[in-house]
Amino acid sequence: MIFVTEVLTNAIRAGTAVGYVSVGEVIGQRSGVINLGAEGSMLAGALTAFALTAWTGNPWYGVMCGGISGALMSLIHAFVVITRNANQLATGLAIMFFGQGITAYFGSSYVNLQISGFEPIALPFLSDIPIIGSIFFHHDILTYLSMLMVPLVWVFLFSTKWGVILRATGERDEVVYAHGKSPNCIRYMAVVVGGFFAGVGGAQLSIAFSHSWMENITQGRGLIGVILVIFASWRPERAMLGAYLFGGSQALIVSLQGRGYNFSSFLLFMIPYILTIVVLVMVERTGWNPMPEALKKVFGRG
Amino acid sequence: MLAKRVFFNKYSIGTKITMALGICIVYGVFLYTQGANPFLIYYEMFQATFGNVYGIGEVAIKATPFILTALAVAIPARVGLISVGGEGQLACGALSSTFAAVYIFKDMPSFIGIPMLLLAGALGGALWAVVPGILKIVARVNETITTLLLNYVAFFLVGYFIYGILKSPDAYGWPFSPRFSDSLRLPTLEGTRIHIGILIAVAVAIIVWYVTMYTHLGFRMRVVGGNVKAAKHSGIIVERMQFVTLIVGGAVGGLAGVIEVSGIEGHLRPMTGVGYGYMGFLVAWMAGNHPLLIIPFAILLAAISVGGNALEMHSGLNSSIVLILMGFILIVILAIGKRGGK
Repeated sequence: MIFVTEVLTNAIRAGTAVGYVSVGEVIGQRSGVINLGAEGSMLAGALTAFALTAWTGNPWYGVMCGGISGALMSLIHAFVVITRNANQLATGLAIMFFGQGITAYFGSSYVNLQISGFEPIALPFLSDIPIIGSIFFHHDILTYLSMLMVPLVWVFLFSTKWGVILRATGERDEVVYAHGKSPNCIRYMAVVVGGFFAGVGGAQLSIAFSHSWMENITQGRGLIGVILVIFASWRPERAMLGAYLFGGSQALIVSLQGRGYNFSSFLLFMIPYILTIVVLVMVERTGWNPMPEALKKVFGRG
Repeated sequence: MLAKRVFFNKYSIGTKITMALGICIVYGVFLYTQGANPFLIYYEMFQATFGNVYGIGEVAIKATPFILTALAVAIPARVGLISVGGEGQLACGALSSTFAAVYIFKDMPSFIGIPMLLLAGALGGALWAVVPGILKIVARVNETITTLLLNYVAFFLVGYFIYGILKSPDAYGWPFSPRFSDSLRLPTLEGTRIHIGILIAVAVAIIVWYVTMYTHLGFRMRVVGGNVKAAKHSGIIVERMQFVTLIVGGAVGGLAGVIEVSGIEGHLRPMTGVGYGYMGFLVAWMAGNHPLLIIPFAILLAAISVGGNALEMHSGLNSSIVLILMGFILIVILAIGKRGGK
C-alpha cells in the first residue's frame, strides 16, 4: 500500500509540468494551431522562473515571468503560422531549437545553483484523509493550481460563449467570421495562452520539482505535452490524466529501482507512447475523429 | 508542383542577400551585446567551415545524416504523407547495424561487411517505418503523429539495448556498444575524418531525384501526391504507394544511422544522432522536398552547427549560442517564406 501511495504521489508530482503544457495545448489546438514549440515555451518558462526566483527570492515573480516568457515564445509561433501562414510543424520545431539554444546560453550561469522555490505544503484536514490525502494533498502550490485549472479550462471550453467561439475557430472559422469575430485574433490569443501555460509548466519543473536548472531540463516534456493532447482527444481532463500517466510511468521506475528491483527503465518509459498509439487506433476504429477540422488541414488529408 | 513553390526559387537574389545580411546584422548586434566582436566571430565561423580542407570535411560529415534524414521525409512527402520519423528510423538503423556488426559480420572483410552493414541499417529503418505504414493503411491512423511518437519509442529501445545486452564490457561502465571492428568502419580519406558516407548520401539523393522525376513509378507517386482521387481513378493502389514510400523513406533514414555509427563514432551511444531527424525535417521543408535541393540546405545547416563549435573554442561563448542562430534563421525563413501555402 505504501508503494502504491508513493507511486501515485510521485506520478502527480512528475506529471504536473506536462499537464500544464498539455492543457495549454488543448486550448491552442482547439483553435486550430498545433504548437510543437511548446517545448521552447516550456524551456523559456523554466529558465525565466528559475532566474527570477534565484534573483528575487520570491517564486511567484518567477511563475508570472515564466508564464510570460512562455507566452512570448508562442507569440513568435503565432505570428509565423497565423500571420505569415507558414507550416505549423516546421515552425514549431524551429521554435523548439530556438528555445533550446537561448535557454542553454543564458542559463549556463545558473547550472549548479539550488533554490528553495515552492516546497510541498500539506493542506490542512484534507491531507489527513488516509491514502487519498497523502496522494493528492501533499504537493507544491503549483500542483494544486493545476488541479484547479483543469475544471476551469473545462468550463471555459464547454460552457462559455468564448469557449464555443474558440472551438468553432478550430472547426469552421468562416462561421466565426460570419459571427463578427476575427478567427486569427482568437487563434493568437489561444496560442499565447497555451504558451503561458507551457511557461508555467516549465516554471513548475524548475522551481517546484527539481529546484535546479540544467541545460534542456524539459527533455522533450513539451513535445510529450503536445502529443498527449491527441491522446486526450482534445479534452483538458483527459490531457491531465495523460500527464499523470506519463508521470506515473516515471514514478513507477524510480520506486521500483529504489526497492532494488533491477530491470531496464527504458521499457517502462516507452509505455506512454505506445499507449497513445493504441488509443489512436481504437479511436480511429470507432470512426469518430475528434481532431479539429483546422488541424486536419495541417496534417494533410489525414 | 512542389519544386516550384520552394523558398529557394521564390525570391530574387537581391531579396535573399538582404535577408542573409539582415540575419547577420541582427545576430551580430546580439553577439556584440554578449561582449564578443561579431566580425571576428563571423570570420572564425567561416574559417572553421569553408576556410580550409579540415573545415570543409567537418561540414560534409555533418551534412551527411541531414541529407539522408531529409530524404526520409521527402520520399513520403511525394505521395502527400508528412513523416517526422527520421529520428526513430536513424536510431533503429544505427541499432540494427550495431547488432549486425557485433554479432554477425564481426570478422567479415570490408568489401562484404560494409555493404551488409548498410543493408542491415536500411532494413532496421525500413522495419521501423513498417509500424506507421501498417497503422496508416490498416487503421487509418495519421502518420505524422505515429512517426513522432515512435521516435521516442526508438530512442528508449536504443537505450534499452545499450544499457542491456549491447553494453560493452570494455567501456569502463559507459553506455557504449562494443567497438566495430576496423574492417566494418567506413573507409575514410587518408588522414581525415571524411568518410564515404557523404558520397552515399549524395548518390541516394540523386537516385531518389531520378526515380521521382523520370520513371513511371515516380510519376505515379506524384499523381498520388497531387490528387488521391485522380490516382484512384487511374488505377493506382494509393495505399500500396503510401506504404512503399514510407518504407523506402525509413530505409533511407536507417542508412543515416549506419553511417553515423560506422563512419564516425565506431560504436553506438544512447545519444547517437539525436536531433538529426528533426533537423532533416527542417532541411526537407526548406528544400520543398526536392531531393537535390536538400543537399545545399543540409550543407547550410551543417555549416552553421560546425561553425558553432568553432565559436565556442575561439570566443569562449557557450556553443549553444549557435542554436540561437539556427533557430533564428529558421524562424526568419519560415516567416518570410511562402505566403498562402499551408
